[in-house]
Amino acid sequence: MFGYTLRRLSLACLTAAVAVTVLFVIIHLVPGDPVSIMLGPRATPEMKAALTAQMGLDRPLPVQLLTFFANLLHGDLGIDVFSGRSVTDIVLEQVPYTLELILASILWSATLGIALGCYSAVRRNTLGDRITAVLSVGCIAAPSFVVALYSLLGFAVALRWFPAIGAGEPGDWGDQLNHLVLPSFAIGLSWVGYVARLARASMLEVLGEPHIRTARAFGLPERWITFRYALRIAILPTVTVIGVGVSFLLSAAVFTEIVFARPGLGKLVIDSITTRNYPIVMGAVLISTLVFVLATALSDIVNALLDPRVKSSVS
Amino acid sequence: MSKKNIQWIKLSLSGRLPRRRFLQGASALGASAALSAGLPRVSWAASGSTLKVRTYADMKSLDPAFSQGVADELIQAPIYNKLIQYKPGRKWGWQLDAATMIEQSDPTHIKFALRDDIGFSDGFGPMTAEDVKFSFERIVDPELKSTNKPDWGPLDHVEVSGEREGVIVLKKPFQPLWSITLPYITGNIVSKKAVLKAGGRIGTKPVATSGPYRHKSWQAKQKTVLERNPNWKGTKPDFDEIRILPIDDENTAEIAFEAGELDFTRVSLGSLKRLKANPPAHSTVAEYPSLYYVWVGMNLDNPKLGNKKLRQAIQYAIDVPSILQAAYFGAAKPATGIIAPGLLGHRDKDPIPPKADFKHARRLLAESGEKNVKLTLDVLNKQTNVTAAQVIQATLKQIGIDLAINLHEAGEFWTLGEEKSGNRWKNIELILNRFSMTPDPYYATAWFTKAQVGIWNWERFRSDKFDSLVNQAMVESDPDKRAAMYRKAQDLMEASGAYRFITHEATPVIYRDRIKPALRPDGLALLRYFKKA
Repeated sequence: MFGYTLRRLSLACLTAAVAVTVLFVIIHLVPGDPVSIMLGPRATPEMKAALTAQMGLDRPLPVQLLTFFANLLHGDLGIDVFSGRSVTDIVLEQVPYTLELILASILWSATLGIALGCYSAVRRNTLGDRITAVLSVGCIAAPSFVVALYSLLGFAVALRWFPAIGAGEPGDWGDQLNHLVLPSFAIGLSWVGYVARLARASMLEVLGEPHIRTARAFGLPERWITFRYALRIAILPTVTVIGVGVSFLLSAAVFTEIVFARPGLGKLVIDSITTRNYPIVMGAVLISTLVFVLATALSDIVNALLDPRVKSSVS
Repeated sequence: MSKKNIQWIKLSLSGRLPRRRFLQGASALGASAALSAGLPRVSWAASGSTLKVRTYADMKSLDPAFSQGVADELIQAPIYNKLIQYKPGRKWGWQLDAATMIEQSDPTHIKFALRDDIGFSDGFGPMTAEDVKFSFERIVDPELKSTNKPDWGPLDHVEVSGEREGVIVLKKPFQPLWSITLPYITGNIVSKKAVLKAGGRIGTKPVATSGPYRHKSWQAKQKTVLERNPNWKGTKPDFDEIRILPIDDENTAEIAFEAGELDFTRVSLGSLKRLKANPPAHSTVAEYPSLYYVWVGMNLDNPKLGNKKLRQAIQYAIDVPSILQAAYFGAAKPATGIIAPGLLGHRDKDPIPPKADFKHARRLLAESGEKNVKLTLDVLNKQTNVTAAQVIQATLKQIGIDLAINLHEAGEFWTLGEEKSGNRWKNIELILNRFSMTPDPYYATAWFTKAQVGIWNWERFRSDKFDSLVNQAMVESDPDKRAAMYRKAQDLMEASGAYRFITHEATPVIYRDRIKPALRPDGLALLRYFKKA
């Protein structure tokens, strides 16, 4: 198991390295001189030349890429030209906000989605099942940005139940949770429907298995059968999907951070791409990629732990 | 993390952990991780003595030598002092700030005397003429490579004649000194001792401040908090705290205002009608002209636009009122040039009327001899620009010109005409452009000189007469003569056929009735002068 974990994590790092390399090439192919954009309209040719040299932009692309990876091994993502701050610091101070947004969204959407999926499967073909089906599809179909704007208007402006913008006071856990409600609701809502449908399908499959019929024949309570026997197997595909869903949520976090004026990685990347702030783009995308590949690796590891068939094959 | 959790992780990685125990442990680990952030604290709502305002971008630098614009100055202005500050109101002017006296004794010498009650924080002592000398001279020091050096123009040096007296010495006269240099970013006075101690440069943390407010905290992309400076000896500011929130989307800012989380913000032109008709409770909407200028430019070095009659036909075919109605919701007025109303050199009337004259345009096109004209219009991919481009496309079609619209993302657009960025400038035909300016006409005209061809002069407009007028106006002290020069300069631009002026846009703002905002004539906030109503 340890070997499997190590292999998965190594693969995750390799994936991140490839993704960053591809991004590096793409960003340098996009038109627009970063130095001109960064320095603004009054920079002299001498200033531009000095900054170009300082950022290493006058070197060949392969050299720039190798320098980036060499510095990365020392944990150095470079220095931001404007503020003089370390790119590592700039990126890492935004990561927690995006992570907490993603985790909050996954947590509530997975919890509710799995609960609804189980309910639908157990109450198959009842009115409750049909209502859940319609709601699930409705949640999937509702665009996240529409949900975000309407929830802002409804809950923040009209009802004043939740704050409209920001991430809350640092260190104030309650305030930060309060500021998480609407954004996580906006991006998690579609996942409720998706997870519910997936959980329902998995549960139905497992509930039809012979060992479940045996359990019923033994007279075990239905709730016991549903949660202790069926759900534990049915949840496996959902775990995998949630791991993959992190990438979707990372993308959704971008617009959420703009609509709710939240700090985070997504907004940092957008701002940095617009200003061609290469060091921050590279650093932010590297971290995002690592988050994604680690999340999928983690879901694979969790799957391996949960599923005896997978665990025995990797052991 | 508890011993039990660590043990659990080791077991799970070894593969010897039963599934049931794994699920139990995972739940416990998740719960302990969530709680390890600490117990929740009560969060106090902001009191009535806190002012919450929005800025369009997060602060980049607190160094006057490297600040790039309004977002930085919004924070610098309350925490630093200048010799003079802009006067809040509807007319451009300045008032004394750190100076008790300032006068131009001759075209190249400006005497000043400082107040004796201003000190820097963190024990860096009283503000002296040495600090003024250091603050101004460092910006023109080639070693520092300040991007704001042009704002100080021909500064030679600052003479220190007493502890708090000095003379600013210019190499040649420079009129923008009074409208841009001294009352704006480059006029901020920093502590020589503090900056030298910090290595010669200020980043995102101020090294010593002297204004009515002082810097309390900054959370990147979240907010900057200023607090009242207890050591300030001047007029006590009304607010204990100012929170400046970077919100780049204007609609989000409007929603935040309506949700009660902002006291003052700029609003979008699209929302202006709705907000004026139905403002949020206890709030006021006000409109101010902006200093932006929007125009359609034509690349004079592109062979397709070599024919002056064709360019003039295009000028007359573009219907400005339609653009303003469609793209600006009728909330902006037509521009008569590049210099905004209220500034020296503003033209009262445009020789080419804003309304399209299709008959005249067709006649000019026929005289040009050009047939089957197909052109492109490069546009920044913001909704206002796209809508304006579509209107231009439709109006040019009326005279038989086919126009294709090329949308560009910001990073690409802002280097389109730059020769250093490649050969894309050669492909520019028509371009819908928008520049901002500071309140001196020099700042509007500086980008259209011959020296700027291949840099910011994307029309590649070359006129010796224009350059001469701009250079003369920069040193001319008679305002009427100066104004005449700038008007003539704009006449030359338009006469070349390469420019169709569209609008200066507008700056609508909204604020709570409990505050009395202090704004420049272009609607930008002067936070240090904000008061409670």
